[in-house]
Amino acid sequence: MAAPTNKKMDFITENLLTILILLPVFGALATLGHQMFWKQESHLKWVTLGFTLVNFLVSLLLLANKGAATASGFFFEQNTPWIRAINTNYHVGVDGLSLWLVILTTFIMPIAVISSWNAVEKRPAAFYIFILLLESAMLGVFVSLDLLVFYLFFEASLVPMFFLIGIWGGENRIYAAVKFFIFTALGSLLMLAAIIALYYLHTDATGVGSFDYVTLLNSIRLGNLTFAASTGTFLFLAFALAFAIKVPLFPFHTWLPDAHTEAPTAGSVILAAVLLKMGTYGLMRFCFTLFPDASREFAPVFIVLAIIGIIYGALVAMVQPDVKRLVAYSSVAHMGFVILGMFSFTEMGMQGAVFQMLAHGVSTGALFLLVGFIYERRHTRAISEFGGLANVMPIYATIFVITAMSSVGLPFLNGFVGEFLIMVGMWQSQALAVTATANWNYIATMAAGMGVIFAAVYLLWMMQRVLFGKVSNPKNKNLADLSYREIGLMVPLLILMVLMGVYPKPFLDATRESVVSIQKGIMEQAGGTVAQDSKAGEHAAAKAAPHN
Amino acid sequence: MTENNLLSLIIFAPLAGAVINWLIGGRLKNETFSGLVACGTIAISTIVAFMIAFGIGTLHLGALQDGGPAVVLDHLWTWIQVGGFRADFGLGMDRLSGIYACFITFVGLLIHVFATGYMHGDKGFYRFFAYLNLFMFSMLTLVLADNFLLMFVGWEGVGLCSYLLIGFYLKKDEAREAAKKAFVMNRIGDWGVLIGIFLIFGLTGTISFYDKSVDGVQVASALNIFARLAQEPFAWGAIFAGGITSVAVLLFIGATGKSAQIPLFTWLPDAMAGPTPVSALIHAATMVTAGVYMVVRCNAIFQNAPTAMFIVAMIGAATAIFAATIGLAQNDIKKVLAYSTVSQLGYMFLACGVGAFIAAIFHVMTHAFFKALLFLGSGSVIHGMHHEQDMRKMGNLRKYMPITFISMMMGWLAICGIPIWAGFFSKDEILYKTFAAPNLPEPWNYVLWIVGLITAVLTAVYMTRMMWMTFFGTERFHDALPEEGLIDGSDEDVVDHAHASEEHGDDEEEHHHALPADFKPHESPWTMTVPLIILAVLSTAGGLVGVPYALSNGAIPNVFEHTLEPVIAKIGQDSHAPIQTENKAPAEVKHFYAAAAPATGTEDGHAAHSPEEIRNERLLAGLSVLLALSGIGIGIILFGKTPLRKVPRILEQKWRVDEFYNGYIVDPITRISREGLWKGFDVGFIDGIVNGVGHFVAEFGNLVRQVQVGFVRSYAAFIMLGAIVVIGYFIYFGLKLIG
Repeated sequence: MAAPTNKKMDFITENLLTILILLPVFGALATLGHQMFWKQESHLKWVTLGFTLVNFLVSLLLLANKGAATASGFFFEQNTPWIRAINTNYHVGVDGLSLWLVILTTFIMPIAVISSWNAVEKRPAAFYIFILLLESAMLGVFVSLDLLVFYLFFEASLVPMFFLIGIWGGENRIYAAVKFFIFTALGSLLMLAAIIALYYLHTDATGVGSFDYVTLLNSIRLGNLTFAASTGTFLFLAFALAFAIKVPLFPFHTWLPDAHTEAPTAGSVILAAVLLKMGTYGLMRFCFTLFPDASREFAPVFIVLAIIGIIYGALVAMVQPDVKRLVAYSSVAHMGFVILGMFSFTEMGMQGAVFQMLAHGVSTGALFLLVGFIYERRHTRAISEFGGLANVMPIYATIFVITAMSSVGLPFLNGFVGEFLIMVGMWQSQALAVTATANWNYIATMAAGMGVIFAAVYLLWMMQRVLFGKVSNPKNKNLADLSYREIGLMVPLLILMVLMGVYPKPFLDATRESVVSIQKGIMEQAGGTVAQDSKAGEHAAAKAAPHN
Repeated sequence: MTENNLLSLIIFAPLAGAVINWLIGGRLKNETFSGLVACGTIAISTIVAFMIAFGIGTLHLGALQDGGPAVVLDHLWTWIQVGGFRADFGLGMDRLSGIYACFITFVGLLIHVFATGYMHGDKGFYRFFAYLNLFMFSMLTLVLADNFLLMFVGWEGVGLCSYLLIGFYLKKDEAREAAKKAFVMNRIGDWGVLIGIFLIFGLTGTISFYDKSVDGVQVASALNIFARLAQEPFAWGAIFAGGITSVAVLLFIGATGKSAQIPLFTWLPDAMAGPTPVSALIHAATMVTAGVYMVVRCNAIFQNAPTAMFIVAMIGAATAIFAATIGLAQNDIKKVLAYSTVSQLGYMFLACGVGAFIAAIFHVMTHAFFKALLFLGSGSVIHGMHHEQDMRKMGNLRKYMPITFISMMMGWLAICGIPIWAGFFSKDEILYKTFAAPNLPEPWNYVLWIVGLITAVLTAVYMTRMMWMTFFGTERFHDALPEEGLIDGSDEDVVDHAHASEEHGDDEEEHHHALPADFKPHESPWTMTVPLIILAVLSTAGGLVGVPYALSNGAIPNVFEHTLEPVIAKIGQDSHAPIQTENKAPAEVKHFYAAAAPATGTEDGHAAHSPEEIRNERLLAGLSVLLALSGIGIGIILFGKTPLRKVPRILEQKWRVDEFYNGYIVDPITRISREGLWKGFDVGFIDGIVNGVGHFVAEFGNLVRQVQVGFVRSYAAFIMLGAIVVIGYFIYFGLKLIG
């Protein structure tokens, strides 16, 4: 009895990641087939929901059954030759860095599907097919360990999102979709060039070309593959630009407000919760490990841009007349925190950054859902159209306040843990020079802290105008409060907000090992720089605390 | 150090109450149920707090008792642990948090009971008590936290609850504005606390308050480490040096936000838009004193930072007198009390700044009694006046509301500083300690002392004005206001139970109700008067626990000071071996506090009181009584016969501070963000470049191809097609190679 079950489980465990990627594709085929043979459009959402839910449950096996890590530190690794001629392999695996991002993706997708339950009027089949294909591509991005395969998934994720915005978006959807596509595609073209360059550099150095991340990483760490400083810089920047646009890092952020505002609710949720994380994930996975020297060299630039993004995003969010645009700009600020934490090169900052990716996914995803609810009721997103909604929609108002507080970074909700760790990490960081006149890491942290104040301003001001006061607009007098479907949609997100805020341990523990290894990779290879840095650090400590 | 798992019950009982009221109370809509749940859970907290504090029913002596444990700990779980950083969810009750926990739970219980009467008939009754219980959870977490970060959790939590409760009357525009203002101003302060915590962690590597061992891991106390450090010299540059002074200043920024000190005080008077029990509990007795709590908790840090101490004293004194002048000119009874609170908080910080931490806490406690009493009394008045808050429409209420009148008189005597009433001992202690302050550069101790004295006179004047306008003189219930009132602060959503009528209904838009012609104010129900009476007793006799030695000549032991002594760090003279330091050894450093040590920190306090000091203290006490009496006299002369006497307009307009902030800070930031950053940079510059490039490419394409493909979507289709071709090519190749 037990043996076949075990065998079945083995099959699933061995191919878990492939199954995760392919299930949504099958779902898309099923949707297509259903549409062609049954022509029952109302069934499509059930089919899609079924596939996304099953995929979520399957992805939980990543937690339940960890299997053994391979020598490269990845779990559930699979490595099959794909195109022998150019030595590219279907190489997938998951580690602490990608684990929660994969689960976040599979978790958000059913929510996105349910959120558009009654919202898709035209071409539902195409809508659901794109949603499912998008899920495949995003999962592929997070688990690919072959640069070429990664690039293909990275690009592939663009296409469904492009159509989601361009077909089911708001009034200005074409402009937003094209802008989204051009910005992100331009960045990734350079990355493709860098990937190919890496292939040839590896050929020159070792005689074998490779797209394989683990192979490249080992060659670099063992010193078999070394770059001239300028080559390293170019390669780093080519990768980093693609990712910085995706994050988006100031000043490459202007596609985001348009894309978010015009996208349908499901699109906004996926965009905020998952798609943006592909940028920060890429930076950490590829830039930091493959080009540690250039990463250190450019850290001050990224830190400064991140801080500008934090404050700029918050200030601009404050004056937006459109709720959705406001949330979009708040994303710019929050993602600035992620970049800041990553480039602090401290365990605390980087752990905080990974945590913040998840926290932002949950709370900003929830905010977009909430904006979607009133958009569905009123077909407007203008703040001035609302006011006093708490009087007619008390449940909605309650959930909105909790979600906003999680976004504001109230302790015991998810946003706080990430932002706090990021700032504490930045405070201790040696990524910035300590000069005679100032400890720049202190100043960077204090500036980032200002963003926390502004976050309270823009969200509270928006709530004040949307939720509180009298019902000034007669159109809002008879709005229905949230339905059970909508409440059910929010409940898992609310639970996560509280759980991540009160007991972040499981999340932090799972990512620790991978993050520390990336952090060590950067700081250990620093060689002479480390000595210099620690001297600077001592100097700072001596200046700050005589007893140390 | 003792473990006691009951400690967590103190905070979790109110949390449970909040959840029950939210989930079940919201459906039942039964006032008895909601009120019982709310008061019952606070009663549990109160009992447990007193049990642990005084060792009742526990296996050890209480945290407040001699011979009892220095601190009772309760470790729940490790909250955040990354790298070297560790923050526990752990509670600790020592002498300081013990006193705080006891008076918060007790005063909180009284106010909860009062609120069941005051909020009677309100549609959001259950919601109100859910918030109020949540507040108690946050406040108790704040004081019982055993590390900085958990304290910060409570710190932010009380801010949230304050936000929710100020904005409780959803439909009032000034309420929602005030709520946001309170939260944002608190957040500005919180920035200081947050950065302060980073710096503390950076300097000491720990954020715990106590030395403790958790699961076999030793956790060091950051405060003890600071206590062992050498004192920093007095220098303005030290503020920015990233050392102890910086920590102290950063923490104090947080305190100015939470405790409404200059420059972040303007939210507190606006916060009076919330229901009156909230004003009593949050904005008088407990939350606003959290800043004082933090400063005293961190006294080891502040004592080592004389520059920061000087700033604290200056800000405290300035706030005290500044707020008192505004209090002279307000016509809304709650606004008077609000500015009075700001002013009294200033006294507390003045005390902290001169090193009289125990006196500060003493004043926190007596102030909690008499200010809660005054606020609840004003609530009773407002209730009796059918939600009229303007004192110009009151008068002669003592005839109609005798219990309220007599209890408020006790509060009035206490705040004015008349001997034996509670406020006298604590305020007098602060003034004397300021006069004798060893750490202030001369002649600042005298300057601040005089400021304190003037404030005492002003306090007596405005409180007398308030009492006379409300309770004496002629009845002005039906008089028209002399001018269009500046005040819009009536609790309009509360439907009065005795006179419920349509005009108090939900959709009522007007703020001022014309009182009916046969209107008579009435005394409040027992749920409201009993808490008043208890608080009146405490305001009268509560100060006797801390009678200074000089005044009683040792006849009444100064229990309060004796209890709190262990909490005040004896800096530089710690029994632990001083840790390795590159700096000068502590002994070589001149301690400003060396002189103060006998007054605050010796084991045998009585011997330390020199006859000269005793004589001085008595003289000064006599002087301040004299000034208080003259203040009352001035008040009666000025306002006794002419309660509506004109006061300087600039005072009525609160020195136009709000206008200044709006005009010079808020508006410019908003304008720059909108016109400069968003429309200028984002839309104009960056998008301009992107669109320009796009336009150029399109034009170029036109020129070359002369083939207009047309709609943008077909471009997209081409890109899609291209992607498919590329992918297809790779797959084709792959299959061929494999196969």
